Amino acid sequence: MSKTVLGISAFYHDSAAALVRDSEIIAAAQEERFSRKKHDPRFPVNAINYCLEEAGTEPADLDAIVFYDKPLWTLDRVVENCLMMAPSGYEQMEKALRSILGVKLWTEKQVQHHLKSLGKAGKLLYTEHHLAHAASAFYPSPYREAAILTLDGVGEWATTTIGVGKDDRIELTHEIDYPHSLGLLYSAFTYYCGFKVNSGEYKLMGLAPYGDPKYVKLIYDKLIDVKPDGSYCLNTEYFGYLDRLVVTNEQFNRLFCGMPRQPESRISRKEMDLAASIQVVLEEIVLKMARHVRKSTGEKNLVLAGGVALNCVANGKILKEKIFEGLWIQPASGDAGGALGSALLTSHMYFGEKRRMNPNGRDTQKGSYLGIGYSPSEVRAFLERHSYPYERIPDLKERARKIAAALAEGKVIGYLAGRMEFGPRALGARSIMGDPRRQETQAQMNLKIKYRESFRPFAPSVLAEDVATYFEMDVESPYMLLVAPVRNEKQIQTGWKEALRDGGDDMLHVINQARSDIPAITHVDFSARVQSVHPEDKRDYYEVIRAFKDLTGYGVIVNTSFNVRGEPIVCSPANAYKCFMRTEMDMLVLEDCVLWKDKQPKMKENADWRKEYELD
Amino acid sequence: MRQVFEYDPDIGYRYIPGLKARMPHESGGYLIRANEMGFRSQREFIPEKNPGKRRILLFGDSFTVGEGVSNEKRYSDLLEKQIPELEIYNFGLPGTGTDQQYLACRKYASGIDHDAIMIVVMVENIRRIVARYRYYLDENNAQVYYAKPYFELSGGELVLRHVPPKKEPVRDSEIPLEDRAFVDRGGRFPRIRTFLIKTKLEKLAPNTLTRFIPYTPYTPYPEYNSPSHPAWRLMEAILEKWIKEQKKPVLLVPLPPHIFIEEFRVANYHKRFSELTLKTGCAYFDPLPDLKCYSMEERRGFRFAQDKHPSQAGHVAIAQAFAPAVRKVLEGAR
Repeated sequence: MSKTVLGISAFYHDSAAALVRDSEIIAAAQEERFSRKKHDPRFPVNAINYCLEEAGTEPADLDAIVFYDKPLWTLDRVVENCLMMAPSGYEQMEKALRSILGVKLWTEKQVQHHLKSLGKAGKLLYTEHHLAHAASAFYPSPYREAAILTLDGVGEWATTTIGVGKDDRIELTHEIDYPHSLGLLYSAFTYYCGFKVNSGEYKLMGLAPYGDPKYVKLIYDKLIDVKPDGSYCLNTEYFGYLDRLVVTNEQFNRLFCGMPRQPESRISRKEMDLAASIQVVLEEIVLKMARHVRKSTGEKNLVLAGGVALNCVANGKILKEKIFEGLWIQPASGDAGGALGSALLTSHMYFGEKRRMNPNGRDTQKGSYLGIGYSPSEVRAFLERHSYPYERIPDLKERARKIAAALAEGKVIGYLAGRMEFGPRALGARSIMGDPRRQETQAQMNLKIKYRESFRPFAPSVLAEDVATYFEMDVESPYMLLVAPVRNEKQIQTGWKEALRDGGDDMLHVINQARSDIPAITHVDFSARVQSVHPEDKRDYYEVIRAFKDLTGYGVIVNTSFNVRGEPIVCSPANAYKCFMRTEMDMLVLEDCVLWKDKQPKMKENADWRKEYELD
Repeated sequence: MRQVFEYDPDIGYRYIPGLKARMPHESGGYLIRANEMGFRSQREFIPEKNPGKRRILLFGDSFTVGEGVSNEKRYSDLLEKQIPELEIYNFGLPGTGTDQQYLACRKYASGIDHDAIMIVVMVENIRRIVARYRYYLDENNAQVYYAKPYFELSGGELVLRHVPPKKEPVRDSEIPLEDRAFVDRGGRFPRIRTFLIKTKLEKLAPNTLTRFIPYTPYTPYPEYNSPSHPAWRLMEAILEKWIKEQKKPVLLVPLPPHIFIEEFRVANYHKRFSELTLKTGCAYFDPLPDLKCYSMEERRGFRFAQDKHPSQAGHVAIAQAFAPAVRKVLEGAR
């Protein structure tokens, strides 16, 4: 009884589609990669098209199409919120109702319009938002049984849920409801520190190590009441999301003595300290919750999903505390992952399909390489059509040696190979690579290639067998969702905290200090966001790092997403070539073709391409 | 828009070998699979015939290749289901003229054993064969022009030009002056069409619009009115050469665009193709009378609302119309 299920998430942020057949994940992709609009919330017509392509199926042949959220429940929350806040909050109410009544309630019509079919079920199915997150975390995990923790801004009513997964079944047992939300609390600080909500949270996390957590007490005193089991209540007087269009309000501003930082203005010590403080609070709450979940469920393993699960520093703390024997985090933990979760949930709990475990004990997420791939023939057709000079190196190892040699010479390389990653992290299928041993790599890649804030750290991709050689970590981290310190003996003590204090707000002289023998991936606090690369997941990428190790003795390289600031990660060879030519990358690898920048014809651009993408 | 073609120095282009793609479309999308030879087919094209199978090599343009429908829903694939021993190698290439289809046959089909050849000439192809450049929409939906191979009649002989054609697209302004009169801009009223595409009016209300503006890229084709029309003389020369070069039976089929099926228009092309059939001795089949047997409502359903290519229902009707002629030509080939 093989069932094919299409999952859809849309209309909030980061819409996506996923297709599951016979309980196997066949395909999953975010709409932004195709539409080239970051966090695109629109109906994911292109992502769906790709999923159907990968499965070689037609909409009418789908056993079910499922949406990851219940819009009526969301409407219920919005209406109740409006009634509670009336007569204030008119703008917020208007926006929320316009959104829900305008499109979200008519999701089935949208599906029918775009696909011309509702599949064999003849109707659109709906799952609960957090149940979809839970399913996305549990079913692909390597565990037959696990405790489940989902944390995000809000989905329908819930913001945090706890549950248990056993074989094919999932049950959520506890939840915390809106307006109390850890995700929204973190977003409030993201906004106040001048970053964009729903995308800048990652920057706030990266900024945290520069600061002192001096506001922790104030946050606990005024903003959040946390119980010993990790459950919490927000003091909603300080937040704007109930009755206005921004997350904070005047009381929040007064509490932290000033207006929110203007985006793109200089980052001051205050923002660094606020980032450090909210990060500490988040970690403490998550750890309390994890301990409670361990105790109350008795499960040895934990799976995580929801936007907050992308906070890899907090995840690293759960791992370090050894609260659970096993920890698995859905790499597409945000709303995009809801598409996958809803499809898996329908497959197992609606159709009763048996769960398939990976016989080698690893997960069934397939390295999260679930997106579109372009064959070498397609790449060559593209290059030939435009007469772009390239060298074809079909032999995998020879190609890896060539790339490694260029990396060792300090070249920065764009790399597109195999199926695209599902989730916000680039994992070697759409990545920019650099030499981690070079002090100048971080600044060069931030300022000349990514065109983004100089404080932002880069992540290492390390051979799976070498993780413990470089990092205080003894588990796999294939999805770059765990942060661990660079090994003690590799650290170079710089007195950076004192230097930062002496330098006032100036982060640059601290950023440019060498903190280890792999400085480009060592953050100021000696931490690194590790991606372990296993040959079973991605052979070509593994061979590149392997060749780099053969050449330099280091089984680790810099890996950052293949895009510029504000741009979705590249999807096609054409996207990759454009990004390569617009930035100061030296080499581009497109499947088995290698291109050098100095051999390419000059690219003609009619307008300033930097205006093409809205800064995130 | 995804790139699905690669450059071919002899024909202009072919599908990217091994391509697997799903094309967005008003029908909800359709799947295409190309084989390693670069044609839309689930199967590889092999030289030897499979035991017990009768093989037809099929040539045509987008109507034959099945733009808008998945591989297995095309009339070629439906014919295989209707005639069990039949195996059709569909060499269709969208956007090509009969000239390029002939070149595809010469280059790719010459070593392939078969029982018959079927040349399906979409009636509008007569405009494509005189063209030296043809417009396409690039991956950014911008109009660009590609050079195409073409034949010229010189002293009664066909002379092949533009081989290999230029690889890179050119803008309208870059087309050489002497070639400007030979640009296929997609039919009549290119300016109106460009305006409609740009303003998305075509998508908004295609049928309402055509009620007020006699806009359609397809027209009654005056090229077929006289046997001495230069375009017909060129078409005749290409087909005559192509048919005469074949050692196995040839079935020639003019495939009408929707205006002939849906409206009362004189099929002026029929006479020309009949004359050519007599001249070459090939088999001939005109599917128009069969297609017009359906009710008007059914006939409107033979194409998509905006895209004028045959819909799934259109392919079913075409396959049903073609089947007797195909059976007959196969019997003759025994």
